[in-house]
Amino acid sequence: MSEPNSILEGARIEVGLTHSELWFRYFALGGMSTALEVEAYLYDALTPTDHDRDLVATALNERFSELGGDHPVAYTDDEDLDNTNL
Amino acid sequence: MAEYRAVDESKDRPRIAFGVTTQYSGGQVVVALRGEVDMLSAPTFASVLDSLFETSRRDIVVDAAELDFMDASGLRVIGPMSARLRNAGGSLTIRSPSRLVRRLLDITAMGDLIERDPPDPKSPALGGEQRTGDASTAVIDGSLETDTEDGVRLPAFPVGNDVIDAALRLVTALARATIGGADGVSVSLTRHGKLTTVAASDETIAQMDRDQYATGEGPCLSAAAEGHWFHAESLADESRWPQFVSRAIKDGIASVLATPLMVSARPVGSLNIYSNTDHAFGPRDQELAALFASQASSILAEARTDMTTDEVAGRLREALTTRQVIAHAEGVIMGREGISADAAYANLRQTAKRTGVDVRESAAALLTSVLSDNLIGQARG
Repeated sequence: MSEPNSILEGARIEVGLTHSELWFRYFALGGMSTALEVEAYLYDALTPTDHDRDLVATALNERFSELGGDHPVAYTDDEDLDNTNL
Repeated sequence: MAEYRAVDESKDRPRIAFGVTTQYSGGQVVVALRGEVDMLSAPTFASVLDSLFETSRRDIVVDAAELDFMDASGLRVIGPMSARLRNAGGSLTIRSPSRLVRRLLDITAMGDLIERDPPDPKSPALGGEQRTGDASTAVIDGSLETDTEDGVRLPAFPVGNDVIDAALRLVTALARATIGGADGVSVSLTRHGKLTTVAASDETIAQMDRDQYATGEGPCLSAAAEGHWFHAESLADESRWPQFVSRAIKDGIASVLATPLMVSARPVGSLNIYSNTDHAFGPRDQELAALFASQASSILAEARTDMTTDEVAGRLREALTTRQVIAHAEGVIMGREGISADAAYANLRQTAKRTGVDVRESAAALLTSVLSDNLIGQARG
């Protein structure tokens, strides 16, 4: 019963993906972690590598896009990229 | 010496640019291609298919046995024609493609057009003719078969949960297609306290599993019981599991790699990979086996009973296709930029974001451009 203090878990709930659906999307993008590990990333029970975190973020953001939204979950390298937008 | 030179020179003989013949047999039209389908010849190929479609609308078989090479322009003919035929109740299949053409089709997610049972199979691997999935492989259950990208048709075995079993059969087929030395793959699962084979790539492999259950010993049983992998690199020199090993050798098996399936940190079964060559599996194969076992485990842990067999299998198939496309694109970027796989993924993701498409589309676009560049270059070279 972790609080949804994780940005990733909050985003997952917002876009309405089940853990299973999110794992499939993460896996499709090339992720090597098991479904259980991905769930642990969401609850901050395991710390993903930057790459794994970005894969989960991509999976969530692509779902956001499908729903007509923009990219609300930041990537680990976003600061360098997005400074120009401000 | 002179003869030698003559052989060398024969490589320089002029290649046939492009040839096409059509032949009717049964309810099918066989379109045999020779030479190269590229930007120059694709319109001819397209017009042949168009006229066949207009006149007969029958099933079309594109025989690619003598096709030396095909680029993206050939794919642009095949893809839409396949869709038109399908809508008209027919089908388009590709017979005997070369490795290059097969790879092109796989990358562009058209691998399922490749004919599953070519009329003259020449692949005497383990299990002989049964491997390609003729009717005799379905004898054990006969209720369900799973077709895979590899063209391997898997027989069904006594089942508990259709959804899970179908997905596991798919994993089995993909593992067999992906792991270099694998001549056969199966998945054993503990059901009602007993280890049972849920999916096997052919009857010999199913028998290998049964031999282990019967003798009460073997690498798969050990992996499923102890929760770590067991690798019998050469059965001829193997001192463990003597009863099983003597039966396995008799059936032509030379090495076995068994990787446990874990759910909630407990072993529930094993992914079993057999080869008729000793020392067939290297560290890379062990990694791949672990990945496939992890997939199978995730399916077991995640599969929801309210999903149908087709949904699970379809999602897995789609996920694996996407993975492959992205991995290929990463490889291209790594080679071009000299960067790591993770950096290549970030590059791909940034491009996708910039161009407003998803990562898969971005990867597919990159591959299409690279493939047509390379193949056109190759054709001219």
